[in-house]
Amino acid sequence: MNALNVTDLSIDFPTARGVVHALTDLSFSVARGRRLGIIGESGSGKTTTALAVMRMLASPGFVSGGSIRLADLNVLALPEEEMRRARLRRVSYIPQGAMNSLNPVMRVKDQLKDAIVTHEGRTEREVLRTRIEDAFAGVGLPEHVGSLYPHELSGGMKQRVCIALGVILNPELIIADEPTSALDVVTQRQVMQTLKDVQQGIGAALILIGHDMGLMAQSVDELVVLKDGILVEHGDMRRVIVNPRHPYTRELVASVPLVGGESFLGNSSVVPDVARPREGLPLLEFENVHKDYGGITALHPMSFSLCGDEPRIISIVGQSGSGKSTMGSIMLGFNPPSKGRVLFEGQDVAGMSPLQLWDFRKNVQAVFQDPYACFNPFYRVDHALSFPFRRFGYATSDAQVQDSMHEACRAVGLDPALILRRYPHELSGGQRQRLIVARALMLNPKLLIADEPVSMVDASLRATILKNIYDLKDRHGISIFYITHDLATAYHVSDFVMVLYKGQVVEAGPPKEVIGDPQHPYTQLLIASIPWPDPDRDWGGTTTAAEDIAALDASDRDALTVFRGDVPGFRLDVGA
Amino acid sequence: MTGHRAGEIKGWRLRRFESPWVNPKLFWGAGLLLAIVALGIIGRAFWNLDLAFTGAAPLKLPPVGFENLRGQEGAWIHPIGTDGSGRDMLALIVIGAPNSLFVGLLASLIGMSLGIFLGFSAGFIGGRTDDVIRVVSDVMITIPPLLILVVVQSAWGDVSLTMMALLIAGFVWQSPTRLIRAQVLSMKQSGYVQMARLSGASTMHIMFREMLPNLVPYLFGSFIANVTTSIVTAVGLEVLGLGPQRIPTLGRTIYEAINAGALIQNLWWWWGIPTLLLGLMFIGLLLVNLGLDEVSNPRLRKL
Repeated sequence: MNALNVTDLSIDFPTARGVVHALTDLSFSVARGRRLGIIGESGSGKTTTALAVMRMLASPGFVSGGSIRLADLNVLALPEEEMRRARLRRVSYIPQGAMNSLNPVMRVKDQLKDAIVTHEGRTEREVLRTRIEDAFAGVGLPEHVGSLYPHELSGGMKQRVCIALGVILNPELIIADEPTSALDVVTQRQVMQTLKDVQQGIGAALILIGHDMGLMAQSVDELVVLKDGILVEHGDMRRVIVNPRHPYTRELVASVPLVGGESFLGNSSVVPDVARPREGLPLLEFENVHKDYGGITALHPMSFSLCGDEPRIISIVGQSGSGKSTMGSIMLGFNPPSKGRVLFEGQDVAGMSPLQLWDFRKNVQAVFQDPYACFNPFYRVDHALSFPFRRFGYATSDAQVQDSMHEACRAVGLDPALILRRYPHELSGGQRQRLIVARALMLNPKLLIADEPVSMVDASLRATILKNIYDLKDRHGISIFYITHDLATAYHVSDFVMVLYKGQVVEAGPPKEVIGDPQHPYTQLLIASIPWPDPDRDWGGTTTAAEDIAALDASDRDALTVFRGDVPGFRLDVGA
Repeated sequence: MTGHRAGEIKGWRLRRFESPWVNPKLFWGAGLLLAIVALGIIGRAFWNLDLAFTGAAPLKLPPVGFENLRGQEGAWIHPIGTDGSGRDMLALIVIGAPNSLFVGLLASLIGMSLGIFLGFSAGFIGGRTDDVIRVVSDVMITIPPLLILVVVQSAWGDVSLTMMALLIAGFVWQSPTRLIRAQVLSMKQSGYVQMARLSGASTMHIMFREMLPNLVPYLFGSFIANVTTSIVTAVGLEVLGLGPQRIPTLGRTIYEAINAGALIQNLWWWWGIPTLLLGLMFIGLLLVNLGLDEVSNPRLRKL
């Protein structure tokens, strides 16, 4: 018997500008013990489907047709009180960003207790205790975690608490809505394995919502592909990934960058337009830079120098908290190092005169992670492009500023007529991030710091934006520091890779060596944690993620950096 | 882009949705306040203001159409009556109402300017500056302004309107300071401020061109709330007889009415009309504040 049957489901959102069809005639079913993935980009109706099953659609959205049956239960005809009782008990929902859905003023074990008592009435204290302990054990959390508050837990632990909460009443169906989108790859693998284990343990059906084809390939049996609220492909996961029938599915599969294999950058044999004049001093230099916050070391002493004669892309990879973003902000001069010096063309960034600082800003630009925050909501998007252009003295006339903006937009594949003169909230995240790249292009700096430039953008657009960034080096001769947690893209884009682990460079060298054939256990763990969009390639083999992490912690922490070779124009020294 | 065109074609209801500034609450509130200002301007042009000073008119004359306890009928020469010393009520109102509004606006304007300056300094510079400003404003917020002002003004004797506004301004800068400091602190970390720093923007540019425009709705709301507080404080002082002694204000008129026993003599127009005007002023300010709330917080807007 199927745990969930959805037949011809349609959902409409009436708005001031007419009715939006969020979902049109969607049908699928999941059996108990099976895992179904729903994949599509943002706005494709994935979350709307999940909310409809929970009957938690936000107004003004409503179900305009079709039926949802939860085993024998007709969800759409249920009175509100019965629906309330069915939630969590028969169908549980692990929301997007579940980290924020725990009550911050309650101990996590009390939140589990609440769930049991609300649905099953008064329960004996002993029974409650053992059940909660079992639930924590089931998601691999030690017992003492129960008496902590949410802010005392890491993101991965909070996510596992949410899973424990979702399964504690043994529901027939678990809906997990991008449960790992806020986690780094290592934690993602651990959380997904926990979720799969628990789901198999209680024999529930699982619906996994996501946008990452790789994650789907590692996690589900069956796949539904949604585009603009319409089901474009449905079938066995293996079949859909190996032999996609719909062009959109093919695009989704192809958009996942792989380590090795064909580069998504295409043929890159173009000669740079701009030849950088040779300068005596290196472009950017770290001299024994060290950073700590209070007593915690964010970055261990390191020195490097980037020559800048020839453009290079240096990737800095690591999971969250590894110190890679700290490095980025030190390079930009936003965050002074605790010890050591940062030199730009021989000049200490910390002690610059206003004129030198102006020159530094003119030549060192950045692309940040969050394209939504980078535009001042008060101004049209033009402001972000034209203001620095004028400020750095490139502008000669208004017409020339306009021309440059149009040219830069076209260079990153945006239609200036549709993009310019609009307010930031009218553009999508992908469009905004491309505009930020266009801004960097207009300013033509010598160095660009790209801090996770694509992590908040839909998977299908990532390759395009990375291509835009790569073009900055390739065609415009800009050196780039690419800060990322995504090893696959770093593999293709960069000339040199540094792997950071707890503020220390553990492995460094050309990408073919470091990522293609990792030597340090941490790099190996990172590579093993990448979800491959290949059903035959197992996600980490027999050792579970937890064991890998434990092994890494046990390994010698003071182990020296593994150097895997050099590239001309970049030199790295680690240690004081 | 098609959305804009569609919006233009559709009717008034939709346009109201698209431009939050077209808001009935804002409209009526601003209308009330402007009416009081207009009363002052038109009154000055068409009414003899010398009547606001002790004159030859009969005392305690009621408004037209009413009779006082002595059986005197209201006369058109004093359409809303006279007070206990024969001053014309209309002239008192024409001078007094804009005066009360003026004190409120001036005090609030000075308070806001101080608040913007201190809030930006605290949020932007941080460190010791922030500590000092924060502690001082937190301490000041706990002191009841009326208490201090009563002491100061009774020691001072007579004050001018501007002087009173300045004194009140010393007690309305704390909440805008705190509000702006908090906003500046969170905005300082935002992506667009970082982008502006990358663009080589000066501190002044970041403060006034990048941050301030986004603060405008908060500033407006805070300003209006401050005007209300300032008027309440001013009227409170005046009713206690501590305001300006020679300039008619609504509060002073009420003070004199109470002092002369207007309540037991049933001279309702003497205290009632200034009270009514103050009431209208507060309703106007409240409506403007509610309207601004809806402008700055789209969730309160109705479709």
